[in-house]
Amino acid sequence: MTWGAFYLYYHCPKCGLKYEYALDLLTEFGDTFGFCPKCSVMGIYEKEGPRQIDDAMYLEVEAD
Amino acid sequence: MAKKTIITAAVTGAWPKKENNPNVPITPSEIADDVYACWKAGAAIAHLHMRDSDGNGTMSTEKFQETTALIKDRYPDCDIIINLTTSGDIHADDDLRLAHIEKLKPEMASYDCGSMNWLHSGLFINSPAFLERCGNLFQKLHVKPEIEAFDPGMIANAAYYLKKGVLKAPLHFQFCMGCANGITGSVKTLLFMKETMEQLCPGSTWSCFGVGHSSMEILYAALALGGHIRVGMEDNVMYAKGTLADSNAQFVKRAVRVIEEYGNETATPDEARQILSLA
Repeated sequence: MTWGAFYLYYHCPKCGLKYEYALDLLTEFGDTFGFCPKCSVMGIYEKEGPRQIDDAMYLEVEAD
Repeated sequence: MAKKTIITAAVTGAWPKKENNPNVPITPSEIADDVYACWKAGAAIAHLHMRDSDGNGTMSTEKFQETTALIKDRYPDCDIIINLTTSGDIHADDDLRLAHIEKLKPEMASYDCGSMNWLHSGLFINSPAFLERCGNLFQKLHVKPEIEAFDPGMIANAAYYLKKGVLKAPLHFQFCMGCANGITGSVKTLLFMKETMEQLCPGSTWSCFGVGHSSMEILYAALALGGHIRVGMEDNVMYAKGTLADSNAQFVKRAVRVIEEYGNETATPDEARQILSLA
């Protein structure tokens, strides 16, 4: 029994950008997991779970 | 002689719904058609979950029976190995989780070798009493357990049950990589799972899959490390970044291409039966 990747959803306290990180990339991002990809500040947690219906509203942050 | 690689198609799972991907098969009829398409594409094993009328995971024996009968009646040429889940609804009690196994006696069934927090919101309980009962029942009915391991501790637990006689060698593992609360999905962690298995349960066979970003890395690594492969919408509703999967067969076809490009051959169901010591 599985169900895809698990995401944490944030918005940026500085620029308001909404974005998401896949939890399975935690080891790749390390300390920067959850950071706004534009402002490099820690985001404000909104919600979590498998892919959400409103995923398109969030920028998926990718590892290099 | 080329090495044979077994493809398992996990077509439905307990969680993804049509709103996640409209191509996820939900009804017994849809699941039966999908299993046949996956078999035609090269899958040797079909791992099956069922859904209720609302699309939620269910352990309804009637649904399992209807689906397996549809596969058999609608597609008499299909000799795919049926692998039924015992973990299709985290609210089902132990009796319900095993009722369909007793009734249908599939060639294979899943055996989740430990408990864990599920999606950071619930509990996925596989108690010692359940695992002992499940292992003993499987032996009695000659059902091959597919030991799903979400972390290395579950491999150690399988070794314990092997030594206790609840499980019987050779074991077959399904390494579930990159699931929330389980081991992360990478070549490094897959190698660790494999080496842990070889140390604790030598002579076992293994398969694996990665959810999300690790799916392709794990697929290629499985081949390189000599394992078998599981694909399908239970684990991934996206075929690639930003692209929903068209079908489960699409995943199987890609796996076949990768296997053949690597220099291996896709195992037929009968070849898989030999590799896994079924029957």
